[in-house]
Amino acid sequence: MTEISRRETLAWMSAALAGPWVVVPNGPAAAQGDTGLWKELDVAPITVPGYGSDPNLLKPSVPWPLTLTDGQRADLRIAADLMLPADDRSPSGSALVLDAFIDEWVSAPYPDQQRDRRLLLSGLAWLDAESSARFGHAFAAAGDSERRAIFDSIAFKQKVQPGYERPAFFFARLRGLMLGGFFSRPEGMKDIGYLGNVPSTDFAGPSTEAMAHLHAALAKLDIRSA
Amino acid sequence: MANSKAAAKAGNSFEPDVVIVGSGAAGGMAAYVLTRAGIKTLILEAGRDYDPVTESAMFKWNHEAPLRASSTPEKHFGFYDATANGGWEVPGEPYTNAPGSVFRWWRSRMLGGRTNHWGRHVPRFGPYDFKSKSRDGLGMDWPISYDDVAPYYDRTEKLIGVYGANAGLENHPDSSPGILHTPPKPRVTELMIKAGANALGIPCVPSRYAVLTKPMDDPHAPRQACFYATPCGRGCSIGAAFQSTTSLLPMAMGTGKARIITNAMVSRVLTDERGKAKGVEYIGKDGSRHFVKARAVVLAASACESARLLMNSKDGGLANSSGQLGKSLMDTTGTNVTGHIPALESRPRYNEDGAEMAHLYIPWWLYKEQAAGKLDFPRGYHYEIGGRFGQPGAGLGLGGNEDGYGLSLKEDARRYYGAQLGFTVRGEMIPNNDSYCELDPEVKDKFGLPVLRFHWKWTDHEYRQIAHGMQTAKEIIERLGGKVVSPWQSPEQAIAVGGWIIHEVGTTRMGASASDSVTDGFGRTWDVDNLVVADGGVFTSNAHKNPTLTIMALAWRNMDRLADRMRKGEV
Repeated sequence: MTEISRRETLAWMSAALAGPWVVVPNGPAAAQGDTGLWKELDVAPITVPGYGSDPNLLKPSVPWPLTLTDGQRADLRIAADLMLPADDRSPSGSALVLDAFIDEWVSAPYPDQQRDRRLLLSGLAWLDAESSARFGHAFAAAGDSERRAIFDSIAFKQKVQPGYERPAFFFARLRGLMLGGFFSRPEGMKDIGYLGNVPSTDFAGPSTEAMAHLHAALAKLDIRSA
Repeated sequence: MANSKAAAKAGNSFEPDVVIVGSGAAGGMAAYVLTRAGIKTLILEAGRDYDPVTESAMFKWNHEAPLRASSTPEKHFGFYDATANGGWEVPGEPYTNAPGSVFRWWRSRMLGGRTNHWGRHVPRFGPYDFKSKSRDGLGMDWPISYDDVAPYYDRTEKLIGVYGANAGLENHPDSSPGILHTPPKPRVTELMIKAGANALGIPCVPSRYAVLTKPMDDPHAPRQACFYATPCGRGCSIGAAFQSTTSLLPMAMGTGKARIITNAMVSRVLTDERGKAKGVEYIGKDGSRHFVKARAVVLAASACESARLLMNSKDGGLANSSGQLGKSLMDTTGTNVTGHIPALESRPRYNEDGAEMAHLYIPWWLYKEQAAGKLDFPRGYHYEIGGRFGQPGAGLGLGGNEDGYGLSLKEDARRYYGAQLGFTVRGEMIPNNDSYCELDPEVKDKFGLPVLRFHWKWTDHEYRQIAHGMQTAKEIIERLGGKVVSPWQSPEQAIAVGGWIIHEVGTTRMGASASDSVTDGFGRTWDVDNLVVADGGVFTSNAHKNPTLTIMALAWRNMDRLADRMRKGEV
């Protein structure tokens, strides 16, 4: 069994115990040769202690210091608002402080997070390099249409520009984290319709609407309802 | 437990008849049975005291925890998992793998052991499972039969509380009437899987979990019914989800016949000149060594830890005249298949938490085909099934369908949330000569005790079974109009590494003869008359059915026999 698949299994087992089913995205496991302006940064390892094997679960806290620069945080806020803009159901990514969540994530002293740290820091640097090459200024100084042009090169699975595979992998990871960071917040849970974590004397089971939807779906599949 | 600290102090003046090593499923059950028989019992637990009533992080939100409660090497099943000071690695207590072997060993260092966070899926072994060699010529038959254990299954289910239903299926025995609690209503995702499976001739029935759906009164361990919220793996402060710390241990303590000492790492079983066990030595948190004298010693430290303790008790291993100590190490096979089901997209929301674990499952259904030689693998598996509107964490679980960015990405999240189905394969492994544990000749733990070195190998029996499990899950997903979104690998890649399913058993196996087994059919070691194994080490085979119920039923049976022998003065 490979390390990746072990981690996937772990993610699965955690999911089985903790709730949502998690699927770790596929992707190139490492840079497949330098393409374009992408540079895999040398990132110093984070050596501060984690929360230990017996933390106080009732008073959770993040013991490690945050490490991102003001500039990186600003880029993340811009990316968060492009990624998840406000609409009538929930606020924007920056309003739910996704930059702080990503900072907490990449500053953690654990192997998965440190892998992500290298990927995401390299990706943020790439956004600046790409923006400078295309438009003559850094990502933060770029206009909305310029930022979207960069995102459009890497954000859509079927339309990744040749040579942009590694930036696209970075984008997919950032998107996955931002989705989790966003929809796990109270505003995000309300938007997506998570209704649990409340006690009740009986489990009501599926609603009438949910059952009607199921029966219609099975009928379309030509399967008799169980 | 509230009173165990005081009990620890009192432990020094308490003279036990029996000392039990371990406080989890096996140790808790042993203590419950022995104290009810009036036997003074001392429980030694290597880990710290733990109280689910005050420590379980029930109802805490993922966003309140570091990394949205994701798993890390310090909290392998996520921040809120009940496990304290345990997991795949325990600080200061390593284990090693022989070259070419990969085996992972989950340990817990806390009162109640792994029962504080376990999956709680409790199917019974059936008649075939005790006599599998007679059916297919592989492995070993148990020296006992289903009929020997059936009454203890009934008693154990009644004591720990199990929801489920009698399905009347081949080799999946029903419980006696009045025992099972009513199972919760199935979720939409489970009904969908049931419909797809049934369409292919595959059963899907109410699963059995050690979770109460009606309250259970007890003066010392009152337990409430499940209130259908917050994950069981965090520990259950209301006692609905079974754990040793909210049932067996307080019930044992309530008799006044038990004492518990935590932070007591048992280092050796000591024997007298006649070869009888005279007690154990344990090492305290401060490194101090203590001797506890007892008429009998019960090992309930988990299969591998109990085997290690015997290995460390004597050159060549105590109770090892058969040479079988540490051999026949088995786990359960495992892999996962996830499917995306378009028909489940944007489905109507409702509170889908339920009793946390699955309300339905797919039991093994091809016994007749197997007996007729129509399959290319000898032993069965089951599916634990899933898919739901779960509480979002760092991963949202959209099945990889999310794409792009912007408002369309928000729409993706709303559309694909809860539209994935999961199939967790759990299969039987047949013991083989290449899978065992022994003492590492070099490495020692923080107590100075030699650690275990694991050897591991799967065989084609397991690979072919996993291939079948993957393929059949794919067929169900496709019958439901979906497609597999998890990585599709070869069985050799897809199978979980040894130990990963945390069903390790067999290292002190029972048998019909002293020449080929460590214990008799009551867990009594052949070589040391007053030394009894109560944990999963005694398993002779490891049916795909999760082992903890059988561990507890056998512990009860073995302790009944020990109590009987003590009463008669034989011990």
